[in-house]
Amino acid sequence: MEITTGVVLAAGEGTRLRPMTANRPKTMLPAADRPILEHVLDVLVECGIERLCLVVGYRRERVQGHFGHEYRDVPITYVQQRKQLGSAHALEQAEAAVEGPMLVLNGDRVIDERIVGDVLAGFDGGPALAVLEHPTPTQYGAVRVSDGRVSEFVEKPDSEGFRLINAGVYAFESSVFDAIGRTERRGGERRMSDVVGTLMDDGGVRAVETGGLWADATYPWDLLFLMRELLDHGRIAASHGAEDADTDGVWVAESARVHPDATLQPPVVIGPDAEVAAGAVIGPDVAVGRNGTIEANATLEDVLLDGDCRVGAGTTLVDCVAGEGTTLGAGTVVPGGPGDVRVGDTVFEGRRLGAVVADRVTVGGGVTVAPGTLVGANVSIGPGVHASGTIDDDAEVVR
Amino acid sequence: MCGIIGCVGRGEETLGTLVHGLSKLEYRGYDSAGVALGGTGGLGVLKRAGEIEALRAALEGRSEFSGSVGIGHTRWSTHGPPTDENAHPHLDCEGRVAVVHNGIIENYQALRDELAGAGHAFESDTDTEVVPHLIEAELAAGSSPEAAFRAAIGRLEGSFAIACLVAGRESVFVARNDSPLVLGIAEGATYLASDVPAFREFTDRVVYLEDGQFAELSPDGWVVTDAAGAVVEPPIETVSWDAEDTGKSGYDHFMLKEIHEQPRALRQCLRGRVDELGGSVTVEELGAFDPERVHLVAAGTSYHAALYGAQLLCADGIPAEAHYAHEYASSPPPAAGATVVGVSQSGETADTLAATREARRRGAATLAVTNTVGSTMARECDETFYIRSGPEIGVAATKTFAGQQTALNLLTQVVSEATPDRDVVSALRDLPGDIQAVLDGSSAEAVAETYLDADAYFFIGRGLNYPVALEGALKMKEISYEHAEGFAAGELKHGPLALVTENTPVFATVVGDDELARKTVGNIKEVEARNAPVVAVTDGESDAGRYADHTLEIPRTNRRTAAIVANVQLQLVSYHTAAKLGRPIDKPRNLAKSVTVE
Repeated sequence: MEITTGVVLAAGEGTRLRPMTANRPKTMLPAADRPILEHVLDVLVECGIERLCLVVGYRRERVQGHFGHEYRDVPITYVQQRKQLGSAHALEQAEAAVEGPMLVLNGDRVIDERIVGDVLAGFDGGPALAVLEHPTPTQYGAVRVSDGRVSEFVEKPDSEGFRLINAGVYAFESSVFDAIGRTERRGGERRMSDVVGTLMDDGGVRAVETGGLWADATYPWDLLFLMRELLDHGRIAASHGAEDADTDGVWVAESARVHPDATLQPPVVIGPDAEVAAGAVIGPDVAVGRNGTIEANATLEDVLLDGDCRVGAGTTLVDCVAGEGTTLGAGTVVPGGPGDVRVGDTVFEGRRLGAVVADRVTVGGGVTVAPGTLVGANVSIGPGVHASGTIDDDAEVVR
Repeated sequence: MCGIIGCVGRGEETLGTLVHGLSKLEYRGYDSAGVALGGTGGLGVLKRAGEIEALRAALEGRSEFSGSVGIGHTRWSTHGPPTDENAHPHLDCEGRVAVVHNGIIENYQALRDELAGAGHAFESDTDTEVVPHLIEAELAAGSSPEAAFRAAIGRLEGSFAIACLVAGRESVFVARNDSPLVLGIAEGATYLASDVPAFREFTDRVVYLEDGQFAELSPDGWVVTDAAGAVVEPPIETVSWDAEDTGKSGYDHFMLKEIHEQPRALRQCLRGRVDELGGSVTVEELGAFDPERVHLVAAGTSYHAALYGAQLLCADGIPAEAHYAHEYASSPPPAAGATVVGVSQSGETADTLAATREARRRGAATLAVTNTVGSTMARECDETFYIRSGPEIGVAATKTFAGQQTALNLLTQVVSEATPDRDVVSALRDLPGDIQAVLDGSSAEAVAETYLDADAYFFIGRGLNYPVALEGALKMKEISYEHAEGFAAGELKHGPLALVTENTPVFATVVGDDELARKTVGNIKEVEARNAPVVAVTDGESDAGRYADHTLEIPRTNRRTAAIVANVQLQLVSYHTAAKLGRPIDKPRNLAKSVTVE
């Protein structure tokens, strides 16, 4: 039985990635040169999926506006999850929009084609899910397998002794909607992990052991890790036109303008419409988003710039993430990690993070930023300020 | 003003192909719709007043209604109200000739009198119905179908794209004069339509007919002839637009989808044309464009873009005027040395074409600013500057207005004698992101909700924000059916202020904090003193917000682009007002997307 429909869950905000999610869901955050979800859809298209159904919710306009009614000639249907009541509740919303067997996966994780391909090949009409080896199964849905079937499935187990995790890629018949209906809510939510439990009771779930790139961003600094993974794997947009050539790890979009006296140190990607001035030194491990402007003599290393960013002359950025439309004034210095980062009540010590600067932040000239600083959306930081800690959305920092 | 479709070679699929095509042409009119099927046997016609759904319902269960060739029509009324009788196709007395028509036949009354005198009976009020009767008369006199069609067309004055079936003949005859008509060429099948989307699903190879040309589509293929009957071999072009780019992609209306597409549309418009670090703007298409003075001609929303463009050009020292195209065509001002710039989304707007044609007739250089590749205006003008907004389906223009404004900004930078203003260049580079910021954070829906019961909506602005006020009001009228007016802010106290009450919200656009802004703030105080609610669309630089009941924020930027960004807030207010009133936003009553009659 062949699967031609793909259901992608893209409704959640991804609150642990705040302040980056002020204006869009996690699926639309940048993974190197384009949104995470675009990588996911690429994999589905490459694997021969002919119909896409996206479950959208939080800031859904950003998903719909980006992809429109089709992606790479594959038609897209959107269904809305009005309240975020768990991943299985999200899938439930797609019931009226899909027919026959389907592939189901999360839209917020970059995965290898092989994972999807193996699940599609392993589908025999009964429910199946992808499992893969992971060094820290205790942080995910841990799985035990016997005879190719899931024998145990525990969300974030306390105990060690697991080797495999649930990759979040499933193949189902449309009877899955019935199983969702029969699955109890827990804490008000319906979760895929509980639905897998229901299906295990019904007659078992096939475990497809697979492997390959499986990269997730949980916290904002993980976006740098995701970027490095994608640059290492050369998974950069085909639309850049240079993919088939020997790029030596330097990808420059056709519509970008890079001054001949700028230095690009691989791996590095420069997005469409971007401009790089003379004397700039960019890379290794840098992604400049679309329409970015890098002024003279700026130095960037391990930096992820989302679209429309402007980096002033003589700026130094290391281990830095910047959201859309952020302007960093001339001479801004982000010296890089490691630093301690506070997220809610938790302090993450010694993270490789210079700073996370969310959407539409304006940083005046000569600002220095302490390692591990989180700057909220629409913040304005005056010239010469030494910024540190966590700065809330819309704040104005003058000293 | 209508959409026509036809096909040959689709066999069993003929009827389905026609109905599908009509649904893609609904933006050209949706008062009534109809189809005629023919072939080697007889001829059948079915037509209904109302939207295409009414026709679809009438076709349910009529399996005997079939044919191997067919034509169809969706109508926007010009002669006679939208009724079943006035719907196309129209027939001759015997029901052996069926005709669909887009345009206006100016001498129809004389022809109708003549035909009625000869005993022909008419069933409709339309100008079109004379055509099948003329053909009938020619056939009765012994002419072949080709000759009868050609002779009948020869009698017509005015604008038309016409398609015709004759019973017993497996052909569609077509003719074009001043109304758009394009053929679609596929393997084993040929199509004709007013616009490419009608058959884009089946082929991307097209032939644009020229004025005065005829064509016959038959199972053997297609032949184009000129007015004298000589065979011509027109070029076959390939259209790149994905005309299926028409799903609503999760939005309730095309209009909202298109509002949200503006950042993307403007990125396309700006791509490769703006160099921030170099401080320059280059537009390849405008390489040879160096006007001494400019006349911009347009209608509707495009006219507001033209007003805005004229202000930009004047500010940079190039004398420029914006004119309503229909007025310009009928009473043209002296145009010595002026380049005439036609601004039209579709490039098929009859009024704008009339103006650019008048300009050409008088020897003026012409430039088309349009969204539609291969459109009549693009083909007729000396130069064309495409705004690259992508297809727009909603009848109320949104992203193409922003595209026109942006294109006219680029044009101004290119022709300006002075070195480009770096601040403007940076502002253009920032424009898509600035609009995204408005879309991400707008409170327009809450404002719309607050003033749903208003008696009227007024819009004011000065300088570049005056066209924004006019466009804000037009959008509100078009889709909400509520009374709305736009005024130059300074004009308010000269009369319109008498209309202002506590039930007439005033939307004021105020950008920056210069003298212009302070004067507009003064005008805000005038209406505030009359207890009118005030909604300020502002970047927060001036103290306009202090006197306003609501503020719709826009990012700080150069005032040239601020006028583009501010308009987006007003688009959202109109959209949400119309949505809450339950209006048919994408197809407002009495209107059509592209107005191809004068």
